[in-house]
Amino acid sequence: MNLSLFVQSIFAGVSNGFVYGLIGLGIAVIFRGTRIVNAMQGEFCVVGGMAAVLLLDHWGMPLAFSMLCATLLGGLLGIVLEWVPVRALHRRGGNEDGFLLLTLGVAFAISAWILYFVGRDSRALPGLGGEAMLVFADAAIRVHAVWLIVISTMVMFALKWFYSKTHFGLSMMAASIDADGAATSGIDVRFMRTATFCLGGLIGGLAGVLVTPLTTVHYAMGLLLTLKGFAAAILGGLTNPFGAVLGGVTLGLLEALAIAFVSSGYKDVIAMSMLIVIMILLPNGMLGRRLRKGG
Amino acid sequence: MQSSMVNRSRFALIVGVGAVLWALLPVLASRHVIDLFVFAGIYTIAGLGVSYLLGQCGIVNLAQSVFYGIGAYSVAYFTAQHGLPSVVAFVAGATLSALIAFAVGWPILRLSGHFLALATLALAVIGQVLFLEWDWLTGGTLGIGGLPKFSLFGWVLSTPQRFYYLVWPVAFLAMWLNYNLTHSGNGLAMRAMRDAPDAAAVAGVETHPLKVQMFVLSAILGSLAGSLFAHYVGFISVDSFGVDRSINFLLLAVLGGVHTTWGPALGAIFVTLVPELLSRFGEIHAVLFAVALVIAVVYLPQGFGGMIEQRLWKKYAP
Repeated sequence: MNLSLFVQSIFAGVSNGFVYGLIGLGIAVIFRGTRIVNAMQGEFCVVGGMAAVLLLDHWGMPLAFSMLCATLLGGLLGIVLEWVPVRALHRRGGNEDGFLLLTLGVAFAISAWILYFVGRDSRALPGLGGEAMLVFADAAIRVHAVWLIVISTMVMFALKWFYSKTHFGLSMMAASIDADGAATSGIDVRFMRTATFCLGGLIGGLAGVLVTPLTTVHYAMGLLLTLKGFAAAILGGLTNPFGAVLGGVTLGLLEALAIAFVSSGYKDVIAMSMLIVIMILLPNGMLGRRLRKGG
Repeated sequence: MQSSMVNRSRFALIVGVGAVLWALLPVLASRHVIDLFVFAGIYTIAGLGVSYLLGQCGIVNLAQSVFYGIGAYSVAYFTAQHGLPSVVAFVAGATLSALIAFAVGWPILRLSGHFLALATLALAVIGQVLFLEWDWLTGGTLGIGGLPKFSLFGWVLSTPQRFYYLVWPVAFLAMWLNYNLTHSGNGLAMRAMRDAPDAAAVAGVETHPLKVQMFVLSAILGSLAGSLFAHYVGFISVDSFGVDRSINFLLLAVLGGVHTTWGPALGAIFVTLVPELLSRFGEIHAVLFAVALVIAVVYLPQGFGGMIEQRLWKKYAP
């Protein structure tokens, strides 16, 4: 194993890791705000990525505008998800597992719908900065991957600021921690739940737009993205915005090193075994102290 | 007293009519429908394990596809490649599944909630990859074909009709086992453990060993279902033992109602028959099935079994 190959796999691991982190961030946002584990976070990405491709290819919109619209579409989808099925189950007093299965069912519906209307082909999207590469130590990284890392980091810090400094973010947290208490102090709890799903959808749409230039997008990729994102969020601790990204990068690096040192076939075996070991050894995630429950 | 007698006889009537319908189905229905019912029976057996863990112990088990796969590959390995009798394959698959479930379950069942669900999901991913990578044993994506038909005392189960009469009695037996377990002291201990873990521990319930035992039992049911599946279809490949299979088992358990013994059978019939019924609408049937699923989750939080028990059972049960 020479140095450039090693650096190359680190690059691949970090950029994949930020993708997992961004999806994990969306899952963590929705979990923080509503205590629902959203099993269709990956579907937000597929919808976002697919929408950007269609806007660009079929309607000839500029790339940046397509990406923006696709991200907003993710947010809109989040609102619809909360308004229709989540609210219906909430009224009937669904439990944790009920919501998990509900979002899983919606994920199947969206995936099947994309298969029906768009087909089973993988679609590609040009990246920010085109196909340009940056070279360090004989190893190359795409400019788009650097953008991905920068934007994800910005989103992470923005969320940290949003939850700790803004009135809106604090109200959102209050509505989730103690719904009755929040309602008595004049917070519209229902609106906060909708806003939470909208925020999760926006992050999901953004993740889709950013991942599509690296991996292409097809109808069936949502579930695997959700799994990896969930793993990232759990690894880092579900309630800390930094946790999901740190967890994602850890997972991405584990996978990349598994590919480099063992074989590409076993990357998921190694990543998933490490995930189980970390969950057992660090029951509060890597960053959470007592924030994580259930470990 | 009198009304109780009437209720009891009505209850017996419902059960009797159900049994007759069950027995006559292979004679009346088309081969295709019987085929679907055989799959429903196989899924019921595997789904019962998942349903029981969730309903009685509060454990989300997404690793059932691994044990289902072990049972199936065991049949392929022992009967097709080594020419040994089916019984050897069934026992070997179940034993191996139990050992793996014990070895893996012991550490991971210390986790709980979403983290346990994620750990079992991780196991399913590991299983899926290993089934694919160990192609010297499993045939990888090409699969293994030419598995012999199951024969019982010289009676070869070569048609869906015959297999139907093997699979469903096994499923009923598994249900009866689950029913007895639920109504035993261990069942009570498990529900206590699910609803109030600390109180159960204080009351002297050894929660962790009990969870491991139940996980092992669920794995044995999964392996048994996998072995039956392999014998029935005669050809197996990794596509049948992926994460989506585990999700399917969980779905049918929840749809059927995890607190009822016979719910998984209804759930299994739903997930095998409904996509077939919807397929007449053409390509859109997958969307319709997913929407039906969402509606079922929203409107029937107790599952089909729970709903029927609430509406009818109270009226007619003894």
